[in-house]
Amino acid sequence: MEEGEGSNGGVFEGGLEVRVLVVDDSPVERRMVEGLLKKSGAMFQVIAVDSGKRAMEVLGLTDDKAEHPTVDHQKVDIILTDYSMPEMTGYDLLKTVKEQSCRKPIPVIIMSSENEPQRISRCRAIGAEDFILKPLQTNDVLRLRSYARPTELSPRTGTKRKMALELMAENSGSDRRPRLAGLAVS
Amino acid sequence: MSLMALRERLNVLVNSMFLEGLLDQQFRQLQMLQDASSPGFVAEVITLFCEDSERMLTELTKLLDQAVVDYQKVDAYVHQLKGSSSSVGAQNVKLACIQFKQFCEENNKEGCLSALNMVKHQYYSLRSKFDTMLQLEQRIQAYDSEQQN
Repeated sequence: MEEGEGSNGGVFEGGLEVRVLVVDDSPVERRMVEGLLKKSGAMFQVIAVDSGKRAMEVLGLTDDKAEHPTVDHQKVDIILTDYSMPEMTGYDLLKTVKEQSCRKPIPVIIMSSENEPQRISRCRAIGAEDFILKPLQTNDVLRLRSYARPTELSPRTGTKRKMALELMAENSGSDRRPRLAGLAVS
Repeated sequence: MSLMALRERLNVLVNSMFLEGLLDQQFRQLQMLQDASSPGFVAEVITLFCEDSERMLTELTKLLDQAVVDYQKVDAYVHQLKGSSSSVGAQNVKLACIQFKQFCEENNKEGCLSALNMVKHQYYSLRSKFDTMLQLEQRIQAYDSEQQN
């Protein structure tokens, strides 16, 4: 697998495990998201970091790792990042991840406490799979499963994933209309 | 005091905090994340919230004590405090932070100082109730552990 690419996920009893990289400078919010992901079922393995820079290290996207590609790093299936962070914002991280020239870039979901249309459009324009308002709720976390690579999931859940993805394509990627009601997202 | 009485006291405390506006429904989300596999989750997050909030309040006090205030830094801390308070359901703290952000955007030092005092007031009111909550949670956990053993 190339650096920066989504992984196959591990295997656990009942299905595939999805590795989620949670990026948020707030320790409280990191812990809450981690708790939500773990509560939703055994299928999420959470890696939580406090900065975009640290996320880059986990993803193997730092300059020194680019020079030494054999350095080991963790594989990630989905990135769930806060938008507003010091030094490297969630937008910067999103841009860097999407700029990687790999076959299957890792899905990136942006979290933000601000429901700003421009911010949302900006993120979607450079490839963010979704934009979720904070604080996260249980149904937000359940949506994350649909961003895992569907062809890798077990046949029992494959149909629902396919339907979810089709819906996503029709709705331009987000079915969370109630929280973004009245908002036209291009 | 019996386990049932402790649980009842905790419920009464939490309900009163909702009525006073100290907590909102997001706190119920936090409570729902506690289960047999994470028995101390609420206590852990509340403790983290309190430590983090006090750190930020200290930094905000220092920043606003400067002759020339760096409103960008102030806003960054207020934003983070707003976020964490929103996450745990600390409603009054969150609302006070929203007001604080407004003054930051206006570069209004007096307003910021007044807002900081309000945030502190709301935080410490909440903190005092959280302390009681954590004590009750601890006693309940102790009971549960005894019963398991």
